[in-house]
Amino acid sequence: MTEVITDPTPPILLHGPSDKEKKYDRQLRLWAASGQQALEDAHILLINPGSGTVGVETLKNLVLPGIGKFTIADENIVEQVDLGVNFFLDEECLGKPRSECCVKLLQELNPDVKGDWFPKHKDEEIEQLLDGTIKFTMILYTAPLSRSRFELIQNYGLKHTVPTIAVHSAGFYSYFRIYLPGNFPIVDTHPESTATTDLRLLSPWEELSRFAASLTENLEILSAHDHGHIPYVALLLHYLVQWKKSHGSLPSTYKEKTAFRSTVAAGARTDTPEGGEENFDEAVAAVLKTISSPSLPSAVREVFDYTPNEMESTSSFWIIADAIKQFYKEHNALPLPGSVPDMKAQSTVYVQLQNIYKAKARQDVAEVLDTVRSHPKGNDVDVAEVESFCKNAAFIKLIRGSESSDVFDADIKVLADREFESDANASLTLMPLSLFPIYLSLSATTFRPTSNLADIIGTIKHALPDASSRPRVVEAAEEVARANGGELHNISALTGGMVAQEVIKIITKQYIPIDNTCIFDGITSRTQVLRI
Amino acid sequence: MASVKKRDAFNAQSLGVNLNPKVKEARVLMVGAGGIGCELLKNLVLAGFGEVHIVDLDTIDLSNLNRQFLFRHEHIKKSKALVAKEAAHKFNPNVKLEAHHANIKDPHFNVDWFKGFTMVFNALDNLEARRHVNKMCLAADVPLIESGTTGFNGQVQVIKKGVTACYDCTPKETPKSFPVCTIRSTPSQPIHCIVWAKSYLLSEIFGASEDESPEMDHSEDSENAKEIEKLRQEAQALKQIRESMGTESFPQLLFDKVFKDDVVRLRSMEEMWKTRRPPEPLEFKSTAQPASREAVEKTLRDGQRVWNINENILVFRDSLERLSKRMAEMKSSSKGDAAEPTITFDKDDEDTLDFVTASANLRSVVFGIETKSRFDIKQMAGNIIPAIATTNAIVAGLCVLQSFKVLRGEFTSTKEVFLSPFAAERLLASSRPRDPNPDCPVCSVAQTRVLVDMSRATLEDLVEGFLKLELGYGEEIVVNHGDNLLYDQDETENLARKLSELGIQADSFLTIVDEDDDNPRVNLVLNVQEATASDDKPIKSLDIGAKQASDALSAPASPIPRRKRSLPQTNGHSNGNGVSTSSIAHENGAGKKRAAGEAFDGDTSNSKRSKLVPNGIDDDVIVLDDDGAILIDDD
Repeated sequence: MTEVITDPTPPILLHGPSDKEKKYDRQLRLWAASGQQALEDAHILLINPGSGTVGVETLKNLVLPGIGKFTIADENIVEQVDLGVNFFLDEECLGKPRSECCVKLLQELNPDVKGDWFPKHKDEEIEQLLDGTIKFTMILYTAPLSRSRFELIQNYGLKHTVPTIAVHSAGFYSYFRIYLPGNFPIVDTHPESTATTDLRLLSPWEELSRFAASLTENLEILSAHDHGHIPYVALLLHYLVQWKKSHGSLPSTYKEKTAFRSTVAAGARTDTPEGGEENFDEAVAAVLKTISSPSLPSAVREVFDYTPNEMESTSSFWIIADAIKQFYKEHNALPLPGSVPDMKAQSTVYVQLQNIYKAKARQDVAEVLDTVRSHPKGNDVDVAEVESFCKNAAFIKLIRGSESSDVFDADIKVLADREFESDANASLTLMPLSLFPIYLSLSATTFRPTSNLADIIGTIKHALPDASSRPRVVEAAEEVARANGGELHNISALTGGMVAQEVIKIITKQYIPIDNTCIFDGITSRTQVLRI
Repeated sequence: MASVKKRDAFNAQSLGVNLNPKVKEARVLMVGAGGIGCELLKNLVLAGFGEVHIVDLDTIDLSNLNRQFLFRHEHIKKSKALVAKEAAHKFNPNVKLEAHHANIKDPHFNVDWFKGFTMVFNALDNLEARRHVNKMCLAADVPLIESGTTGFNGQVQVIKKGVTACYDCTPKETPKSFPVCTIRSTPSQPIHCIVWAKSYLLSEIFGASEDESPEMDHSEDSENAKEIEKLRQEAQALKQIRESMGTESFPQLLFDKVFKDDVVRLRSMEEMWKTRRPPEPLEFKSTAQPASREAVEKTLRDGQRVWNINENILVFRDSLERLSKRMAEMKSSSKGDAAEPTITFDKDDEDTLDFVTASANLRSVVFGIETKSRFDIKQMAGNIIPAIATTNAIVAGLCVLQSFKVLRGEFTSTKEVFLSPFAAERLLASSRPRDPNPDCPVCSVAQTRVLVDMSRATLEDLVEGFLKLELGYGEEIVVNHGDNLLYDQDETENLARKLSELGIQADSFLTIVDEDDDNPRVNLVLNVQEATASDDKPIKSLDIGAKQASDALSAPASPIPRRKRSLPQTNGHSNGNGVSTSSIAHENGAGKKRAAGEAFDGDTSNSKRSKLVPNGIDDDVIVLDDDGAILIDDD
């Protein structure tokens, strides 16, 4: 499993109760204190050859939100051309080591962040930096770079199971490719709040059924106020019972559900001042969304179907995943998340309803926890982790590690053929044209900083013999040749934003990172994500 | 790379010989120097834009520093525009930068001033200013690149008059407001208690309580009249208690009033609680625990946890004392004749936030509503929009890419781009620009500048001499100045008065609504320009060319286009009949820059488009020079 190695430091007490909380307020609302802590425990290495802007722009977006530490490895000396493209260098930096200058100006952005640079002396070799003494959380590297250095980075990543990200920006084009050496499971994927509603209306448990029945007893003779304040969950459960009595089964097809919806709508009283009832409106609106038998989301099935290797199987993620899998086998349902959306109801009734769902969720957590504890390593698993897993069970996601990290591997031809075929049908399918040619052209210059058109096409031809007969490949190659290794600040700034966003997702283990390559075309302002 | 490359080498290489000089000659305006603005300014400066004007009225706050990277801790409370200019200038001394620490709505930023720019970038955080710049850019016919971010979501669009949709072509969500009785008597959600604490309690005690909060809808009807009268008396009694501020008994007096006596009164109205859980009054446990300073500090440090009732009482008391002390200091330092000092809610002002948190939670306890952490209450009370560096970096980069298209004049090949951070298959979704909405109250109007001799022009000159004679309007017209009705068929007493007496001055906008039943014209917006006295007519159109005169044979055809279809209401000019007051809500107090529900909601992208579909409109937008009658000058 890809490890996100962080080096937990005791939180520093700031003067004033919440200076830090205040400074990071706007982002804490996105990834909470746990995500912030993960960022603050991280140490990022940037290996920054080439013209160097995209790497520094990425770091800027990580220093601002308060990454713990960063190190820049870069042997270049600052020249005039750097000043035109790199914001974190000024006139005074001319002739000085670029790594040191960038670190100093980046650190000004956030005094809480530690920065370091490499090399400190002329005779220091990068092998020393990557000898394993320092545990980096992640390595970012920019192209073009030497092949030996590329291999060194890959080896470090594999040996220490540390994620690496390649970034390449030239002219109007850029791409970045995330390499996860091992599988990467995410529990806290932040699904949209509307997606998380799970009311179990087709398979209510006893307490819920009983409560709904008590509210809908003598429905016809209830006072106008009571009738208009039955929460829609109870209404739907009531009409489902009726439906089953008359139809023998619960509504399952679209046709049945729309018929059921009409039945519910017909139950609303129309002699009210508004000519209808809000709770019935809510019930009608909820029919298609909530009346569906639970199906296992494919991402969760993928987790269940995966057999973790020996090392993985003792991690808390896989211990809990296995317990939830057993829970699912037993109940044919995932643990209940337990939240209830806001609805028209008297507040006491709504609170009771909430408590019924919460109690059931707690019961499910307890059952999963029992299974977890029965695992030989299960006693080390944190209860909070089990709770969070149960709550998010329907949205967990496994990103598979990348098999190979070479720029052009064996599958490149398969991928290229698929993309070119899709382009051939683009006029019919109205699909946007593939940006894969951009990846090909940029990758072709990974180890050759100054390449002309012939060089680029020649390199692509090693993997794709027919490259020169593909006009879009030639076009992209021409643009890369024209840029001649030069970065446009704006493209690098934008790319740096996207890369940093993915770095944050991986470090915080929140939200779903892209899998695994993002190609950007600044001419059409488009991106494409491909697994390469 | 033997030869030394110049600073500009990469730009020259990639932008090419056509675009690079255009970038260098461009004179652009950037409105807003916040999250997007800082990123944008950096990109503009390094792309080599010739001249950049920066307008921002805001000052720097600690919570800006996690993304607004041109600012440092030592810049807190300084002008964003000025600090941004200083910081960016170092990185490209060849770019001319000018900073205005001012409100973009200030009158001297008039249409002529806007006309001086090649294009305008909106990097704003509120609906009102966005709308204003949109309007000005349409009036000046200057391309506008509009952008916004919310958390991981973001959006960029290019607005070019008559070619692409403007900011107001799709209706924007207005901030929510709550009926006063829900807030004051029958809360059922945490937000009701938060609004009560912030917009009622805090402002009654420390504010100018005459200001009615737009978050509360005070409209009265027969049903709630009695209750509203009671509430008025309650508020009166609260003012009395305000007198004892600073005394030792003040916290308990206030507590007993709002969490006990008022609750007991409310509870006695039995018909209210037949179907609701009646509220439970609270006891002030002043003697129960002599709060140690440490206990209070410890609670205050723990803003992410939900406090229990005792902790809320501690914080209520402590924050009330802090605020009272501040008030006393403000009073003693202000001159006797100055207006009474006030403290208004600011989400970044800890004292007010603590007070609102504790008061809202105590009220929630009274009504059996879930209590919230200070962290959550801050977001709800302050309408906080999450913001991070990464999203701003992406959006600002996209803005500059769109600006390249604008510089080339390729408006139809610009893109409307939405960030779609949660769509795994792509991080950006770009689409071709939307067409202008023919029913848009802002951009589908006709516009012209008028030269007015302010020393003598009367409303009659405008209505009879200009609108009817020159533009061919009939009898059924309405002249509005903002929300003020100046003239219609039944409202004629102003006719003899000078425009200057009616509050009209240079740069005022007047709207002419044609109420002709059969075939009304689109609304006409007149931008007033002051003319020096001359023998000529007192009012002249600046934008109606000589062509009009030679076409005069075809008159009485009016140069103002007719509406494509009859419209149910006068375009977007609410005449303030009171119905809509509850929805016109601005953030009150110090948080006035961020109106609720502003910024942009990434999820609206689809609905925006779909809203246009039912109209099935593919007609061309109304362009003034459609029939060659009104020429938009382009210099």
